[in-house]
Amino acid sequence: MKLLQHIWSIYLRSTARFPALRSFVPFIPLLIAWTLVTELAVFPRVFLPGPVDVVNAFGALTYKGVLTQYLEDSVVRLAVGATFGIALGIPLGVLVGLSDRVRQAVWPLLLFFQAIGDIAWLPILLVWFGFSLTTMTLVIVYTILFPIVLNTSLGVRSVSTDLHRAALSLGASKLRVIWEVVLPGALPNIMTGLRNGLGYGWRALIATEIIVGTSGIGFMMFDARRAGSVVEILLGMVVLGTLWYVVDSWVLAPIERATGKRWGLVTQ
Amino acid sequence: MKSLTIQNLSKTYFDPYAGANVTAVHDISLHVKQGEFVSIVGPSGCGKTTMLNMLAGFIPPSGGSIMIDDKPVKGPGADRGVVFQTFALFPWKTVLENVGFGPRMRGLPKAECDRIAREFLSLVGLEHAADRYPNELSGGMQQRVGVVRALANNPDVLLMDEPFASVDAQTRMTLQEELTRIWQERRPTILFITHDVAESVFLSDRVVVLSKGRVSEDMPIALERPRVWEHLIEDDTFKALSAQVLHKVRSA
Repeated sequence: MKLLQHIWSIYLRSTARFPALRSFVPFIPLLIAWTLVTELAVFPRVFLPGPVDVVNAFGALTYKGVLTQYLEDSVVRLAVGATFGIALGIPLGVLVGLSDRVRQAVWPLLLFFQAIGDIAWLPILLVWFGFSLTTMTLVIVYTILFPIVLNTSLGVRSVSTDLHRAALSLGASKLRVIWEVVLPGALPNIMTGLRNGLGYGWRALIATEIIVGTSGIGFMMFDARRAGSVVEILLGMVVLGTLWYVVDSWVLAPIERATGKRWGLVTQ
Repeated sequence: MKSLTIQNLSKTYFDPYAGANVTAVHDISLHVKQGEFVSIVGPSGCGKTTMLNMLAGFIPPSGGSIMIDDKPVKGPGADRGVVFQTFALFPWKTVLENVGFGPRMRGLPKAECDRIAREFLSLVGLEHAADRYPNELSGGMQQRVGVVRALANNPDVLLMDEPFASVDAQTRMTLQEELTRIWQERRPTILFITHDVAESVFLSDRVVVLSKGRVSEDMPIALERPRVWEHLIEDDTFKALSAQVLHKVRSA
């Protein structure tokens, strides 16, 4: 009991000092369990390598430059796809959210095409564009587009009528109202759309890389399967999880803290 | 500041659920002189909010005309400032940016907008809150910002839609006294919508009682200014006028 209290107090003091620690601590039991399972040889090592093996593989692949190259390829593809997806999705979402006529015209189409999931497009995209960046970009844009459009239009519709009216009666033009009222009011929902969209897009990218298979983290994992290198598959999985965690907590979460939460649009 | 003239104003809309036309406002005519403070009182459903929405230009009238001096009203515009029951402050703008919004829409440089905003904030003693966001303020403070935001845009007519209905009773009295003080200093033309009889008598030069979409009474309020609750609450004239308005509202 005394020991537990002691450990707890060390934890509290050290996380108060280094808040970043708090995100690593939950992984410690997981790592311990993983090490135990591998050290006790519950499964043959070839099927389930331990954390140390994965770290070694990380070192080796980084040293050869393969991992960094593949990681860069994947991230660039996601970034290109996300840029187009956002550039298309937010204006479309605003339009759908603001105009009943546009919504009536577009909504059935949106639902229809949303149902044809990202990689269900791969066969025909491969026929049209081959194993190219175009194919991969299209899949990502397609995946990211729907969550952004749907959430943006929801956010636009959730802005209270009185705010529109207040801006108009203070002399704002209709275009100005979009910039000053509609977009900031929809921002929390746009962020949700972005978060979902990027999450889905990242997954779609890995799936696409497995199928298109030229480079990237998805390709690395699938290629490792052929070579029977489980350690590289696990490394790929760890990289995917870590990368998403970084994007979420270093990019998306700070934006949300500085906007919606500060303005009282979302509860803390 | 200018005068407001309403002639034969009416609003009928189709209720798709009842399958019938509903008339919210019947043939209302009303004149608010330049610098006059007029209240519209009536029970809920009497058409007072519909009327204000037409005056503000948020919904088109079915018939009749609305004029600011001799200029007809078409749609919302900066010539009519609106104060909302819900305050309707922009949550993503600071208090200063909210109050400076109107001047900024007129294209004034930022420094000038800030100067105007600070001047109007000092009118309600809120200079210290300039850099806060609306959700960090109390309800009473938020509505003070709502009132000066409308005033800072220098409108011809100020339209107020039950602005103090959602603040607590003590704050409401303070806000009412502040409003009469500001009105006396700056003499804006005000049309004030409320369901609170005492509030209408306390604030106005004239009280108009609305019933089922028609004007049922138009009563001048000959009380001394400045008006203070502590005096008026025991004043016989005030009590008599309030009783008279209340009687009209209840029989409406």
